[in-house]
Amino acid sequence: MRQLTVLALVAFLVIVGVLFALGPAGTKKVQSRFQAVIGPFLTTGWHVEKTIAAVRGGLKTLDQLETENKELTVHNKELQAVNSTLRDLETENNRLRHALQYRERAAFQLVPARIIARDPSSWWNTVKIDRGFADGLESDMPVLTEDGLVGKTTTVAKNASTVLLISDENCRIAANIEGTREQGIVAGERASGTGMPLIGVRFLSKSANLRVGQKVYSSGVGGVYPPGILIGGIREFKVKELEGYASLTPAVDLTGLEDVFVVLGNK
Amino acid sequence: MFVFFLTLVAAAFVCLVIQHFIPPLAFLENARVFLMPLVLFYGALSLPFGVMLFLALACGLMWDCLTAQVLEVGIGSVTTPTVEIALGWSILLYAALGAVMSGLRPMFRRGRWEIHCLMSGICTSLIVLVEFLMISVRRAALYEAPIVFTTGIWWRIGGAGLVALVLAPLFFWVLGSMAAFTGYNPHSKAPGEE
Repeated sequence: MRQLTVLALVAFLVIVGVLFALGPAGTKKVQSRFQAVIGPFLTTGWHVEKTIAAVRGGLKTLDQLETENKELTVHNKELQAVNSTLRDLETENNRLRHALQYRERAAFQLVPARIIARDPSSWWNTVKIDRGFADGLESDMPVLTEDGLVGKTTTVAKNASTVLLISDENCRIAANIEGTREQGIVAGERASGTGMPLIGVRFLSKSANLRVGQKVYSSGVGGVYPPGILIGGIREFKVKELEGYASLTPAVDLTGLEDVFVVLGNK
Repeated sequence: MFVFFLTLVAAAFVCLVIQHFIPPLAFLENARVFLMPLVLFYGALSLPFGVMLFLALACGLMWDCLTAQVLEVGIGSVTTPTVEIALGWSILLYAALGAVMSGLRPMFRRGRWEIHCLMSGICTSLIVLVEFLMISVRRAALYEAPIVFTTGIWWRIGGAGLVALVLAPLFFWVLGSMAAFTGYNPHSKAPGEE
């Protein structure tokens, strides 16, 4: 038995050694194959989660229903008053809100995708989407919504891909700040998580005259992200020892994200 | 034993899928819920050392496949792809913690079920801590980013362990029932085992 244990230990170490020796291409290949295996399970899980949420959303107590009824009665009267003025705007408003119409307006060739799962780890910020190389996706493609930048694709399998969110420290975007000549690098903070996205712009000049709410856009330097995509708004500016640092409020609500677009290229 | 081993690998995979749909716990500074390590730790207590190594291999590989990031490191257009944390590090970490748990097997065989709960809590926190240290050291080299521990980070490390501690008895019961169903006695001595 002791011989078997030694044999198992040797086999274990050999396999781990082989895995360590895999380069970036080999690693991506192994990840892509595993993603192809786990992808259908995540999609099924997503459907189950939606069904449960729908059932839970439909269950309400009598008190809740009574309160809701009162609110709706008041709301109904308000709506009747403003309805006539809003009728003309209805069509345009719906068009602007509808995600597919963003696709038509956008200057890019976009593939719509649905988020099927969020990263289960503590220190990495990624999501899984239901599109893969079968839909023309490759790694390092920008991902966005009509509100702004979300991140970029990393591992791509046939029908599922991983998206590295802008709140991850490894997702680095060259950016410029609205109304100034300031340029910097946007990256997530290490303590950032999928439940608490924290991002900031580094390498700004210490004398940068920035104000809260100023918008930050991708500059296009580096080639992955197209220029002019909104990343977020400045929340706070701090002067550090060697640089200026601005923390941002992301333009996109990364915690409640459900649908995104992957940029395949220009139209 | 082989059937039970395969059952544990399947259970680990299912737990990994379920983990994706459990949101971070806001009251514990967004600590995550880790289910897969609970399966691994039960396996470490109930399986012989050699078999535990292969369970650690399966769990670690699945985890690394989900979390390993290939980065483009460099300046401007001159970049080279680099793997942030290579496939295999989680396997070694899981095997090391599994080995510690294996050392407590004699107590587990005597029916001390609380060993699984307590050690699951401690080891889950250790996994999160070691992951944080690994990415911090790696990113310190890549981006010259300093290693900073904040209260939130400590909560996230400790919170994961606390949740594991609470969930462990349920896993202990479910996995024990699975062992009985597959005809394996987790408290049995492997041939030649002291």
